Amino acid sequence: MSTPVLLALLFAVGLLTFLYRYAMIGLLARHSLPGWLHALCRYIAPASFAALVAGELFVQGGEVVFALAAPKPLAAGIAALVAWRTRGVLPTIAAGMAALYLFKFLL
Amino acid sequence: MLLGVVPFGMLYGIGALAAGMPVWLAQFASAVVFAGAAQLVIVQMLAAGAGVVPVGLTAGLLNLRHLLYSASIAEYLRHLPRRWRLLLAYLLTDEAYAVAILRYQATPQQEGEPDLRHWYYFGCGFTLWLTWQLSTAAGLLFGATIPPEWDIDFAVPLTFIALLTLLMRDRPSQAAAVAASAGVLVFAALPFRLGLVVAIVFGLLAGAWMARRGRRSAVSGSGR
Repeated sequence: MSTPVLLALLFAVGLLTFLYRYAMIGLLARHSLPGWLHALCRYIAPASFAALVAGELFVQGGEVVFALAAPKPLAAGIAALVAWRTRGVLPTIAAGMAALYLFKFLL
Repeated sequence: MLLGVVPFGMLYGIGALAAGMPVWLAQFASAVVFAGAAQLVIVQMLAAGAGVVPVGLTAGLLNLRHLLYSASIAEYLRHLPRRWRLLLAYLLTDEAYAVAILRYQATPQQEGEPDLRHWYYFGCGFTLWLTWQLSTAAGLLFGATIPPEWDIDFAVPLTFIALLTLLMRDRPSQAAAVAASAGVLVFAALPFRLGLVVAIVFGLLAGAWMARRGRRSAVSGSGR
């Protein structure tokens, strides 16, 4: 992606994000959100993060490479275990990176 | 709270360099977008070669939650002049919202006294803003000195894994996450990396479906 296109994209995302933030505070202060939108917002973050992780692990250049015994999926599995036990971001990153180096060395 | 923001910002800076973003543009994004998760997602997708439309759609969807924060905090800001509301809206992040809403709920307004709670909100918001800008700059400075074979950008999906375990608290969220990851594999062949957006929408539908199923079984369960 060229720099001017990226600049325009970031500007558009920034403007949209500001509109979200200002919408209810400034523009529609006397309205409330419809219930379905309220419900939908709760699933956006888990769906997006899960999709990104799955894409990083199993998709390479538009092709599905479903290999569980590769360094990155194995390291991600260890990281998920640590995340589930500790509920912390920093221990998860530390364990995941350490596991990645270990599996790259072993495999 | 700030301790959590610093590694996030540095990671974003490092990831932006790894994705080939010019330094000034990466810092510009921190000032204009000012949403950590969305910025990390943008960087991750750029590194994977995604086009303008999928990146824009995904970031636009992910940031939709700010509409919820805006709706929730609006009642406390209604009396403020427009310039205050513009400024506080710009500073409305996940963290600023969490701190400010707690403060607003914990300290009710006293009759006849001036309401100064928006200064508290501004103080938190501005501190978070400054921390985010500085940690982005730090990541951009150090990022260049880290060799690519260290795979430091793998820390971005690891961060998402950590956040996922916090977010997957109920059945609908779990269904959304599982369906979205399966959707990525199913829709991988779609052009321009649009498969990711389709997979996220697929996840949202799965979440809504699971929530509805849960409500229905709760109703029939209470009828017994």
